[in-house]
Amino acid sequence: MSAKVWAFALRSLARQPGRAILGILGVAAVGALLFDMLLLSRGLLVSFRALLDAAGFDVRVIAADAPAFARPRIADAEAAAAAIRALPEVDEVVSLRLGNASVTGPDGRAHDVFFLGADAQSRRRPWILLEGRDLGASEAAPPALVVNRQLAKALGLRPGAEITLRGDCARGAATAAPPVRFRVSGVVSFPFDEPKAMTAGTRLRDFGQTCGLDERGDVDIFLVASREGAAAAAVRSIRALRSDLHALSNDEIVARFQQVGFSYFRQISAVLSSITLFFGFLLITVLLTVSVNQRFAEIAALRALGFTRARVVLDVLAQAVLLVGTGGLLSLPLGLALARWLESILHAMPEIPADMHFFAFEPRALLLHAMLLAVTAVLAALYPMRLVSRLPIAATLRSEMVT
Amino acid sequence: MSAPVVEARGVTRTFPMPAGPVVAVRDLSLSIAAGELVSICGPSGCGKSTLLHMLGCVDAPSQGQMLVDGVDVSTLADAERSAIRLSKIGFVFQRFFLLPMLTAAENVELPQAEAGKARAERRSRTMELLDYVGLAHRAHHRPSQLSGGEAQRVAIARALANRPRLLLADEPTGELDQATGQQIVELFERVHADGTTVVVVTHDAAIAARSPRVLSMRDGRLEDGASR
Repeated sequence: MSAKVWAFALRSLARQPGRAILGILGVAAVGALLFDMLLLSRGLLVSFRALLDAAGFDVRVIAADAPAFARPRIADAEAAAAAIRALPEVDEVVSLRLGNASVTGPDGRAHDVFFLGADAQSRRRPWILLEGRDLGASEAAPPALVVNRQLAKALGLRPGAEITLRGDCARGAATAAPPVRFRVSGVVSFPFDEPKAMTAGTRLRDFGQTCGLDERGDVDIFLVASREGAAAAAVRSIRALRSDLHALSNDEIVARFQQVGFSYFRQISAVLSSITLFFGFLLITVLLTVSVNQRFAEIAALRALGFTRARVVLDVLAQAVLLVGTGGLLSLPLGLALARWLESILHAMPEIPADMHFFAFEPRALLLHAMLLAVTAVLAALYPMRLVSRLPIAATLRSEMVT
Repeated sequence: MSAPVVEARGVTRTFPMPAGPVVAVRDLSLSIAAGELVSICGPSGCGKSTLLHMLGCVDAPSQGQMLVDGVDVSTLADAERSAIRLSKIGFVFQRFFLLPMLTAAENVELPQAEAGKARAERRSRTMELLDYVGLAHRAHHRPSQLSGGEAQRVAIARALANRPRLLLADEPTGELDQATGQQIVELFERVHADGTTVVVVTHDAAIAARSPRVLSMRDGRLEDGASR
């Protein structure tokens, strides 16, 4: 379309500013909802994938494909970890034990703490150090502990401070072990932390002591880092080595969640996107149809003056594109603001990691948003374009004279 | 006599209606030579506007041939007829149909832009035409700021924008008072005097009487006795 078509369409829209603004605002609202639905459709998936990758491990090994609360632990973990570590595709294995503990705050109130023990011999950690020092491999007294920001803030902890934890790690059974005093070596971030969760981590040995565990060395999970992204090969080798264990790459975990856990969001998003687009389509079609109906005589006069059929049809299309384009641009900041607000509401739900987002921005969402709006603009313009293209010039001018 | 600018050969225009077809123009033949000023008059519904629409290529005859500059336009595609209208024919309507969002100058520029004229050429021609119709001082006014007579003069300037060979006007004074209508008729006479072929449809016998050639219509036919 040439510049004169766009300029003429713009002037046509500006002729009815109220109607044009109404259309643009309507498209902006529709576009914002559409944008949010697109962000929602893959938001959890994208942020979950980012979380998995951020932890620095691309394979996870568990004892059984069962929910966490009912899953057996990996027995004789030290030997199993050593065997997996020896595989050529594997760079590193970190054994992880998960549990709970309680700590008494300065106000005398007990706080529940998510407690985990990690293999301190490895170079990688299932957390990111923010302040202070990481756990050392050497024995020390009192044993070292890393805490997350929430726990540090709640108890006023800084590196070097001491804290007493009472383990609560046996599922459903009370722990008879005495409380253990730790020295905080650093403040860390645990990728899967909930926004308000208080979490602490220590070495496996100290975890066992706190929880009163025996020395059998059972762990909940192996976090495996493959060499040079050979995750799939590492998974195959681990399965061949230990068919009794369940090894899953990040890709497989994401694919599984995509099929099961996150498919609801995708379906909801698809339904709401379709409804949203339909309303956008109706809005633009109605606005343009009303506009065209009011301008029949004028369009017939333009045709009589020599405007071609294609030219007046393009004018309608250009108006639709301008309305939807302007509204679509406005919809982006509006959609992002709306997504932030909805995100804060959804994050109030329990057990949602702080770094997990329902609405995750991806360039493909932007592209899809633009494409869907463009298609809507064209579809919405079809009916008024048809009216204009079939407008009989002489009959319209004659009826204008009669009326 | 000059070669005809437009010629109708046995044209009939029938409109299908629920109660049966209505014949608006019946087997009519007519030739208008270059440089003529012709009035077509007759009572309402006699077919004069339908004839004008066929002469102006906005409607096609159901039967017969319509020739513009010797070319049979009855069989042309819509785009080709549009091109003829744009370059060879100017239209003036009873209700002006100026675009309200454009100024007088922009309205006059519009057909020129559509014809692909360069901006400088358009501007120059527009000011020349507005000056011609006595409205150079109103160039930047919108139609809503113009009187009926001024709006019609802008419409005439617009119709002349692409230097058409044929200017067609359908009841151009129908919306105007008598004095303003006289001014518009005088403007048409000036346009004619300057070399453009002009055809005016009117039901006003006084206006028709001022034309050198008057075609009187009744029931879709030219009245032989009443025409001169």
